[in-house]
Amino acid sequence: MIAEIQDVFRDVFDDDSLVIARETTAADVEQWDSLMHVTLMVHLERHFGVRFNSSEVAGLKNVGELVDLVSRYVEAKGRG
Amino acid sequence: MAQNRWQDARALAKSGNPSAALAELGEAIRRSELDAQQLERAGALARKLIDGQAKTTLRIALLGECTTHWLTNSIAAIALGDGRQVALHDGGYDNVLQELHGEALQDFGPKIVVLLPWHRPSSSLGALADQLEHWRGVQQTVVSRLGAGIVQVGYDWIDPGPDGYHLAGAPGGALNAIRRANDELRQSLPKGSYFVDLPAVSGELGRRSFYDPRRYHWTKQPFSETGVDWLARHIWAGVRALVSGPKKVLVLDLDNTVWGGVVGEVGAAGVEIAESADGEAYRALQRHAKALTKRGVLLAAASKNNPADARAPFLENPDMLLSLEDFASFEANWQPKSESVQRTAERLRLGVDSFVFLDDNPTEREEIRQRASGVAVVDTPVDPAEYTRALTRELWFEAASVTREDEQRAEQYQTEATREKHKAEHASLGDYLTSLELRADVRDIDEADMKRVVQLIGKTNQFNVTTPRYSRPELEAILSLERAFGMSLRLRDRFGDYGLILLVLGRPAPDNTLEIDSFLMSCRAISRTVEEFAWGKVLERARALAYANILGVYRETPKNQLVADLYPRLGLELVSSVGAERRYLQSVQSASAPVSFVQPVTPAETAVAAAPA
Repeated sequence: MIAEIQDVFRDVFDDDSLVIARETTAADVEQWDSLMHVTLMVHLERHFGVRFNSSEVAGLKNVGELVDLVSRYVEAKGRG
Repeated sequence: MAQNRWQDARALAKSGNPSAALAELGEAIRRSELDAQQLERAGALARKLIDGQAKTTLRIALLGECTTHWLTNSIAAIALGDGRQVALHDGGYDNVLQELHGEALQDFGPKIVVLLPWHRPSSSLGALADQLEHWRGVQQTVVSRLGAGIVQVGYDWIDPGPDGYHLAGAPGGALNAIRRANDELRQSLPKGSYFVDLPAVSGELGRRSFYDPRRYHWTKQPFSETGVDWLARHIWAGVRALVSGPKKVLVLDLDNTVWGGVVGEVGAAGVEIAESADGEAYRALQRHAKALTKRGVLLAAASKNNPADARAPFLENPDMLLSLEDFASFEANWQPKSESVQRTAERLRLGVDSFVFLDDNPTEREEIRQRASGVAVVDTPVDPAEYTRALTRELWFEAASVTREDEQRAEQYQTEATREKHKAEHASLGDYLTSLELRADVRDIDEADMKRVVQLIGKTNQFNVTTPRYSRPELEAILSLERAFGMSLRLRDRFGDYGLILLVLGRPAPDNTLEIDSFLMSCRAISRTVEEFAWGKVLERARALAYANILGVYRETPKNQLVADLYPRLGLELVSSVGAERRYLQSVQSASAPVSFVQPVTPAETAVAAAPA
């Protein structure tokens, strides 16, 4: 899952060498500001075919929480 | 395939080849290969690659009451797909007045300012009046402080609010207030602005797709990704309408585009055009095309057919709505369509970048894309019932205004065909020109001419020595200089009226010299010695204003070779040549008016022309 999310990161930030880990935060990635955060979220939604709630997008602390969020939605989708 | 151009462009950008990357990006966007998300990312990349310092770059500023970050990127991308590298200034969230009165925007020097209201108009009339007063002030400041043109976006709603649709639409309701606000916003715009009717734009896509309320909570930006894409297209159409005007020519295929079936197989009476389910779709396109000619768009047929077969339905099928006279050019042959398009461009004396191409056949569309680049190719749907919608959706014919000249243009090109025939019957050029009975009416530019004059400045490419693209305020600033003048020339002949077709702007330069700031003429008046006649008038004016010399400047562009030798032809001497610029001088005292076959209108004729119809 994190590898697939990393691909989306690389696409959005246009940086093929970008590496993310669960501990990665916005402060670690150049350009990852509040506007780019929203760009990233809507690209993830599109890539995984899911739709996040407003509060979920705002409350993420690091990539780990993001991975968990995406996994939850993808699993729910698989069950649905 | 589609992904490749986008990825190739990114790779080119990384390998330090910005111009190739921009070309590849532009091609991917022109071919509609990017979805809304990719388009926004492409715009962000394009903005990094475009050299915003270049003087020729079109400069656009966005001032919004909401966040305009994504919109700015998407506009850059759409402009690039339309062949324009633009520099954009993003005013940021709800910063309109601060930006407008600050230094940054003035230093940026926008040619166009996009205004985007978002705070809901109040349904209390007093508060609404205050809001509109605010925008009126903003509009006026854009003109007075920045001298820029305006693309004003209107108000819209996401939902009708607590009153519900019925009550919100009644006087005092929220939707009613928004509609009123839009009417007033539009009316208060200075002349030469473009209004984006946001309820109409979001309505076409559907508000449920156009808006994403979550995004307003996250970053004060109400539009979904598709909404951003869609709105950016409309804003760019407005910018294009202001800086270069609408496209001028609609090239139409015939078989299965203008009528159903192949005329060479089914005959003139057999093509689908009658009032049946199939025929109705083609009739709708014909009706649409015919209406476009009334707005000044020229129709050109480009068909792979025997010439007689292609014409037969127009002559023999009573259900046809278009007639041969509606076409300014008619190409029916078996050669590649790019060649037909090229010949049409020469015949109409217009660049192919003012052409829109509609053809049901994807192979022909690809041939045009590859061999007549610059032509706007409509992504034509398979079902003819969708033709007119496809044609309007791409916004190629968006115009800020329609002038009298636009309304008469189609007619003028038909008259041009009659003149060509007449020309063949006369032996010498002088005889021919004399027989045309050319009459010129020269006047100072006045208020009534302004719209047409600014339009002529904006879109004349070939007969244009300096090619400045003045906005109306810029033009007014030049005309207000002491010893400056702006001269317009209207032309007619025995076959018809050409309208206002020539413009000369003169302004003072050092050493008691009159500098010809602009000298331009519509292409339809070429080869009639009109420029020689106009120069005689310029000399008269220079003497009246007591100038000693006239300075003429020629600045070469990819399109104005036609006038490379204009000044030597008019008797001026070359004094310097630096880069693309050549400067010529003429002494006013010793100059004589060049030979022309144009006569001034007599006072009696002027009186007739000025009389109310």
